[in-house]
Amino acid sequence: MTRPSPGDPVALSTSNEAMTAHVSAVPFRAQPFAHYWLAVAPFGALTGVLLGSILYLFYAGVGIWGIDWPVAWGFALINYVWWIAIASGGTFISALFYLTRSEWRNAINRIAETMTLFGAACAGIYPILHLGRPWFFYWLFPYPNTMGLWPQFRSPLLWDFFAILTYVTSSVLFWYFGLLPDLATMRDRATSRRWQVFYGALALGFRGSSTQWRHYHVTYGVLAAIMAPLVCSVHSIVGLDFAGAATPGWHSTQFPPFFIFGAFLSGFATVLLLVMALRRLLNLQAWMTGRHLDVLCKLMLTSSLFVGYAYVMDGFTVFYGGEKADIVNYTARLFGYYAPVYWGAVLFNVMLPQLLWVRALRVNQLLVTLLCCGVIVGMWFERYTIVVISLHRPHLPSAWGLYHGSLWDWLTLMGTAGLFVFGILLAIRIIPAMSMFEMRETLEQRR
Amino acid sequence: MSRQWRALDALARDPAFVTRAEAEFPMLARAMAAQTDRRGMMRLMAAGLALAGLTGCDAGEQGGILMPPVHPAPGTVGAGSDLFATAHLAQGYAEGVRLRHAAGRPIKVEGNPLHPASLGGTDAIAQAEILGFYDPDRDIGLRRGRVAQAWQDLLTAMAARRTRAAEDRGAGLRLLTGRVTSPTLARQIADLRTTYPEMRWHQWEPVTRDSVRAGALLAYGQPVQVRPHLAEADVIVAFDSDLLSSAPGHLRFAREFAARRNPTRTDRMSRVYAVEPAPTQVGLAADHRLIAGARDLARLVPMLAASVLRDEAPADAPPWLGAMAADLKAARGRAFVHAGPDLPPESLALVHAMNEALGGRGTCWTLGAPAEADSAALGESMRALLDDMQAGRVHTLLVLDANPAFTAPGFADALRRVEFSMTMAVGPTETAGATHWLVPQRHAFEDWSDARAFDGTATILQPQARPLFDAISPHTLLSLLAGPAPAGSQDAVRATWAPQWGDAAAARWHDALATGLVAGTASPPIDVRLRDDAARAAPAVPDQPLTLSLRPDPYVWDGRWANNAWLQELPRPTTKLVWDNPLLISPARARDLGVRNGDRVEVRRGDAHRVLPVWVVPGQAPEMVIATLGYGRQDVGAVGSGVGWNVYPLAGDGPVSLRKADGQDELASTEHHDPIFSDAGEYVRHAGLDAFEADPKVLAREPALEHLYRMHPPGPAAWGMSVDLNACIGCNACVVACMAENNIPVVGKQQVMHQREMHWLRIDRYYEGDPEDPEILLQPMLCQHCEQAPCEIVCPVEATMHDSEGLNVMVYNRCIGTRFCSNNCPYKVRRFNYYGYTKEEHRPALARNPDVTVRARGVMEKCTFCLQRIAAARIVADIENRPVGAEEVVTACQAACPTQVFSFGNMAQGGTVVERKQSPLSYAMLAEQNTHPRLTYEGVIRNRNKDVGA
Repeated sequence: MTRPSPGDPVALSTSNEAMTAHVSAVPFRAQPFAHYWLAVAPFGALTGVLLGSILYLFYAGVGIWGIDWPVAWGFALINYVWWIAIASGGTFISALFYLTRSEWRNAINRIAETMTLFGAACAGIYPILHLGRPWFFYWLFPYPNTMGLWPQFRSPLLWDFFAILTYVTSSVLFWYFGLLPDLATMRDRATSRRWQVFYGALALGFRGSSTQWRHYHVTYGVLAAIMAPLVCSVHSIVGLDFAGAATPGWHSTQFPPFFIFGAFLSGFATVLLLVMALRRLLNLQAWMTGRHLDVLCKLMLTSSLFVGYAYVMDGFTVFYGGEKADIVNYTARLFGYYAPVYWGAVLFNVMLPQLLWVRALRVNQLLVTLLCCGVIVGMWFERYTIVVISLHRPHLPSAWGLYHGSLWDWLTLMGTAGLFVFGILLAIRIIPAMSMFEMRETLEQRR
Repeated sequence: MSRQWRALDALARDPAFVTRAEAEFPMLARAMAAQTDRRGMMRLMAAGLALAGLTGCDAGEQGGILMPPVHPAPGTVGAGSDLFATAHLAQGYAEGVRLRHAAGRPIKVEGNPLHPASLGGTDAIAQAEILGFYDPDRDIGLRRGRVAQAWQDLLTAMAARRTRAAEDRGAGLRLLTGRVTSPTLARQIADLRTTYPEMRWHQWEPVTRDSVRAGALLAYGQPVQVRPHLAEADVIVAFDSDLLSSAPGHLRFAREFAARRNPTRTDRMSRVYAVEPAPTQVGLAADHRLIAGARDLARLVPMLAASVLRDEAPADAPPWLGAMAADLKAARGRAFVHAGPDLPPESLALVHAMNEALGGRGTCWTLGAPAEADSAALGESMRALLDDMQAGRVHTLLVLDANPAFTAPGFADALRRVEFSMTMAVGPTETAGATHWLVPQRHAFEDWSDARAFDGTATILQPQARPLFDAISPHTLLSLLAGPAPAGSQDAVRATWAPQWGDAAAARWHDALATGLVAGTASPPIDVRLRDDAARAAPAVPDQPLTLSLRPDPYVWDGRWANNAWLQELPRPTTKLVWDNPLLISPARARDLGVRNGDRVEVRRGDAHRVLPVWVVPGQAPEMVIATLGYGRQDVGAVGSGVGWNVYPLAGDGPVSLRKADGQDELASTEHHDPIFSDAGEYVRHAGLDAFEADPKVLAREPALEHLYRMHPPGPAAWGMSVDLNACIGCNACVVACMAENNIPVVGKQQVMHQREMHWLRIDRYYEGDPEDPEILLQPMLCQHCEQAPCEIVCPVEATMHDSEGLNVMVYNRCIGTRFCSNNCPYKVRRFNYYGYTKEEHRPALARNPDVTVRARGVMEKCTFCLQRIAAARIVADIENRPVGAEEVVTACQAACPTQVFSFGNMAQGGTVVERKQSPLSYAMLAEQNTHPRLTYEGVIRNRNKDVGA
């Protein structure tokens, strides 16, 4: 196999049949590909850890976490924002670049959407776990009740509840709808009755008639046109969870775009990481080429610049606004106890990605892997900065304090990471890891 | 084979059974023999039920009924609950209190406005005493050598002791008590002494105040007590003074002190100098806080005396001393000097001499006879007892209300030579574990007794409930030493007072119970001349470079309240430490030793040494090292055992050495931020009196802000509070009162270290300026009840919202625990139940205020402005079809505060709070946040002497 190069075409092999056969073969294989269990076992175990820590949380209460008086939000909110951001990146690639008709998007949109699905699942758990009395989470919903009570429509947390609900629902829909033609292909190619029934049921009767295709394309286009702005609005609302409060370090009008920038950065980094891993694992190098790496690296670089801009503006607004509590808070961020976390975020999210200006480095898979991991960690640091560092220096010095995640905080974080990878590993054994029908269009065009 | 029977009825007709029953229970037999029809049966059952209920109401004594006060204080609301007067004993002195009963049980301690040592205020310990009353660890039972005994055994044992004591006319019989002011106890002891003429009575308090007594002896030749009238004093100089914290009568002194501290309400603000080695409560409120170690004090007091008495200007005096002396002399007749009990007697004598020379007698202060039944030097008394015990001259020792095995080094050893020893204690103590017998003592809230306040005013202590646990009164125990018939405590108390009252006994008894004091028992000022040589007293200047001072903990005191979780978790006034007693050192000494908070050091005095963690206290004299007594108790109950370190063995006079030791201890303090803050004035606004006089609005810098949202329309009432920071001395009574009133749980040391304490009301402490000599500022911080509350709009389920009376209310049942409200609260006054703290408390459910919801795990809580009290007043007002009066509701913090820092009321009706809010000193915290708090502060004005310097 040749080394990927930025000049690679969007597909090295143009044979439709070879591509379809290769991609559809993965779910049909009786024996999983090499090292599959090696990957599944630890992440499956981590998923078990997640389950265990959730059960213990419900038994013992949120006191098992590190949260305290000044820092009443901790890992749960950090992880929530982190995961929802990772998820957003996938939707963005899949929906926005569909609308722009970028042909490189077709090879990776399935990975991106699957990532979104599990990222959103991981994110969606936290707001409920985070509650002091999680069994009453449904009180957020404006349902008619005997108490005659509505939720508080002015609370950003309520907007957030709707935003997540909408986002998770539409992500699942978008993902599933994008799968339909491929499920039909799988049904048609399946040799055993079991698989035929399984995929046949999932394909919902998609037979590939031209009427169906016409309707399909229109609907998919509409869905994509909804999803692309939705991902921005969802992340804006996540930003408003913080900006809507008058808390120093949070009360900033730039939070909604800032959060979107961050979402793109971490989303692109995660997609890139998954693309690099899966093209190797599933031998998809012919369709996920140097060009894909190049494009994703450029996207990552661009969003990193956006994030860098937001960091600068964060400082600017603090000093331009001149409010004392904000300045104290910001100074603590730069030079205080948690300064390494903030500077880690700057290093990983803004400084190191600048290496991607160099064309050759964009296809250096080892370096890019490290950079992506850096960005993913860096984005977690950024959320730690926003949640913990802002809260540990409130208005009154008498309430200043510190925060440290407890063992259970870490186990839950690791657990969701396990769930995320575990979910993707399961998914690629059931669904085609690449959008076959869209790739066919691409290959047709290139022929 | 025993006879078989088919029904009880059949058995009851069995003649053999009836004969047996008749022999055993004659009344039962009569009842069973009587013809019972259905109606009769019903009557019996009803009577049985009613009688079963009645037992719950009797006062535990024949003829005992509890009487409510007949003279309620002006403005008191008796809505739905009753107040019964009694007293809290602090070092033996009575502080009048009234217990609020709800649902038939005492649930809250309030001050007694009629009592001279309370004036309506209470201190933290008195507030927490209700928790001590319900302490389940009090259930110790009568024991001999740790084995449970029947009461009959006690009678037998006491009979044997009577015989033994009669043999040697009581020569080997010793009674050891705490400080006794109780006329009844004194009478009983006097009676015992007639029975056993050679019996000796010893008194022991680990915090002896012997120096104060010795100083009075030096100055006046008799152990007189100085009674300051601080409201009359223009200039006050306090040398390491306990005047506002623990001196007998301190609540009254604090009230009078505060009366002259707010320039908007007094024509002439007093000027207070505090010269002290470590921050005291006087120092916290003083205009000038001057740091002086024990050695400095031993020089400074004679220097000031020279200046005041002889107009000398000592050459090596610090620059401020002359200015201070001049100030004192200029205020002749209205100047008062006070010195604390840690100063040597010679210094105290000089202070007496100065006070005489300054001519304040009769206005600023008077002299009175001591309130104790027998004023004794407690240190000597204990030494004499220890000598006799060692020498084998004691065969019977009775310890009442004292814990010498813990507080008097050497006692436990000497005890082994005593043939028969008995401890009477309210709960487990080290002494109870060491003596042969342990007799459970009734708590003061469940027993009849009496006690005198600092000025001699007697209070009759009446039981507030039936004894919770099987225990007897000390009066009963003493009666058993005198004769075979145990006396009831009420009889004993009546026997003391009835002869003095003669025919009016019944009425006067009633009045005494109702008002909480026996009228006319205050001892009048006495006229005694200062001895000529008092002015020539010369305190020895210690030559050691390091002074180790053992001081009682402000809340656990000498260790006697160690099992009280409220007091353990009460942040100490300046250090804000809880659940521990590290060694307190100055920043300079910490630098020298190379230690930081929590690092261990070894303190050594003679053979005794201790390894303790340190805590750095800004504003402490570098020469001083302060160890706190009262901790390290081993046998006190589930809460206090094994908490902290016992430093009693370090007591003594020898030289002290200090060196860094290995290791660290984790200490819990509720102040987590960097100790010195450059501009605390942002939060606790303060200015000099001259600046205030030039511009009364000197502290006002409210921004003119528009508000985006409309304000809530005015409702039927508008609750508001004003907090006068000039009056706050940081005593924390309000904090405990809040805990007691609102069922606030304690969380324990680990959770405090995790910053999860639950206090709804906290007293913020800020340091400003130089770490060695900072300005110390205090600020009670509680929910500000913002009219534009940031917490309300962020709660997604509207669990916190505004009511029509301007209260920011918290609906616990609706709370799902997002904690967003806490994040968005600029004042950080919201507390979250991370665990089910209430469930885990070492406290029976019975002890809680039934009017306040107990919060579950996962729920946010905060100050409600004592909503339950507002609701009670609202009900009364509704019934009478009128609005709630301006000052009809008194919050728990307001009621407890000895200095009247808080004023609260319905602003729609005017009243004090409206007046105070119009004070030029009034300001809202973080006004720029535009939250429009219903709580405002009056900023601090310091009456500085410009000749003294900063």
